[in-house]
Amino acid sequence: MTVELQHPMKADATPDEVARGRFVSGMRSLILNDLAGDMRSAYERRAAPAFKKKHGREPESSREAHQALRGDPAFNIYSAMRVQAQKMVWASVADSVERESDRLASEAEKAAGALGSLELDPALEVPKNVHAIDVHLMPGSYTRGADSLEAGAVYDRGLAVFSMGLMGANLDDIGLSMSQYIKQRHPDFAPQRILDTGCTIGHNTLPWKQAYPDAEVIAIDAAPGPLAYGSARAKMQGQEVAFRQMCADDLAFEDESFDIVWSSMFLHELSKKQRAKAFDEAYRVLKPGGLVIHMELPPNEQMGAFDGFYLDWDSYYNNEPYYKGYRDEVPRELCTRAGFADDQFFDFVVPSIGIYGDQAVADAAKGDRAEGVCQETTGRLAEGVMWYGFGAWKK
Amino acid sequence: MVRFRSVEKVSDEKLRPEDAPPGLYDDQGNPRFFADPGMDRFVAVVMNLAQEVWVQEERLLALEEAKSGDAIDRDAKAKEFIDRVFAPIREA
Repeated sequence: MTVELQHPMKADATPDEVARGRFVSGMRSLILNDLAGDMRSAYERRAAPAFKKKHGREPESSREAHQALRGDPAFNIYSAMRVQAQKMVWASVADSVERESDRLASEAEKAAGALGSLELDPALEVPKNVHAIDVHLMPGSYTRGADSLEAGAVYDRGLAVFSMGLMGANLDDIGLSMSQYIKQRHPDFAPQRILDTGCTIGHNTLPWKQAYPDAEVIAIDAAPGPLAYGSARAKMQGQEVAFRQMCADDLAFEDESFDIVWSSMFLHELSKKQRAKAFDEAYRVLKPGGLVIHMELPPNEQMGAFDGFYLDWDSYYNNEPYYKGYRDEVPRELCTRAGFADDQFFDFVVPSIGIYGDQAVADAAKGDRAEGVCQETTGRLAEGVMWYGFGAWKK
Repeated sequence: MVRFRSVEKVSDEKLRPEDAPPGLYDDQGNPRFFADPGMDRFVAVVMNLAQEVWVQEERLLALEEAKSGDAIDRDAKAKEFIDRVFAPIREA
């Protein structure tokens, strides 16, 4: 199902456009649930045994699982359909965004006086990973329409189709689940200043403001259009957030000035070098006692060959060039290399609050470090999704 | 005005995982899966066509709803439709 967005910039879609979106959500559900299951079964039944026959052992890595699956009929149909469904996601919202560009601008204008701010930096050079390829096959990437509301609207409406309801009606399930997990696990932690890095339209920024209403929340991204859209979107929802155009690997903030540095589904969009710098910067701007926390895909080191490749698929076929490189890195090392103490690192799995409910998140927060990183539902946008996160406290 | 960080000409290869063999893509850089590249396009055409049929189906559902006064669960109908149309691929 396609969710209906919760703010005045939601699409005023024609019945045909609604039908197109519903169809694409339904196709993605077929592909990511049923065809994914068929591919796993083909892997176990055909691809892995064929690999073993040739190499004398089972595939041991994501790369070898990929090798084993290439050419298998179940892999071919899953992949060809997933690529086309991804293109159809963005195509299904393009017409309404184009038609409604004036209305979007006028809605944003109406909300301009609400609390919150937007600060663009015309001198900032947008890095190539943000503009030079159509990231996840999204035409024009994050810089479509320059600093107009277009890229943000395509992303917001597209995500509503893409997510099949699994990210919640406000597309904030990740932020809600993670912020509640932290709040309940650390009830005495009272952050005063929170930074979201790589926020796009701020959909997973807002839950932190909701969890800690007294905190000052700042959200940055390199792409100006989504920030402008995100700022309007936050204002319309009465959430005071300062949006600023800035790169996570070059923060214009003072040392020791934040209590939380957060990101969601962001680290895999950075090159290895940018990622390391982003961790250095997070360490620098955190106060002692502050927390770096990222929601991301679970790392390859904690997954079997097939499940690892299942997630790495996007790197090869969905214009996510740094996805596999990120997943091959070790979260603990990302933190310790930046200066965080080894014993301050933690990783965890949070059940989606929208699917499993508040109590499940509360239970996870009370439990030991959540198990289940290697479960099929972890990090995978499909029925029963759970989110992987990791972080570290700065001593 | 948006400024882009000046880079040397970005080739597709540079923005792909290092271990991606060139044979994964056609000469336009599109992913290719089937031995006959026409099949990759054919799959896309079938999906587009099914989408257009579904759009027509929703128009009919709207008429039926108006006539009977009963609400129709379109998400459930869409799932049935997709399952029915794409049943043969489940045999891969």
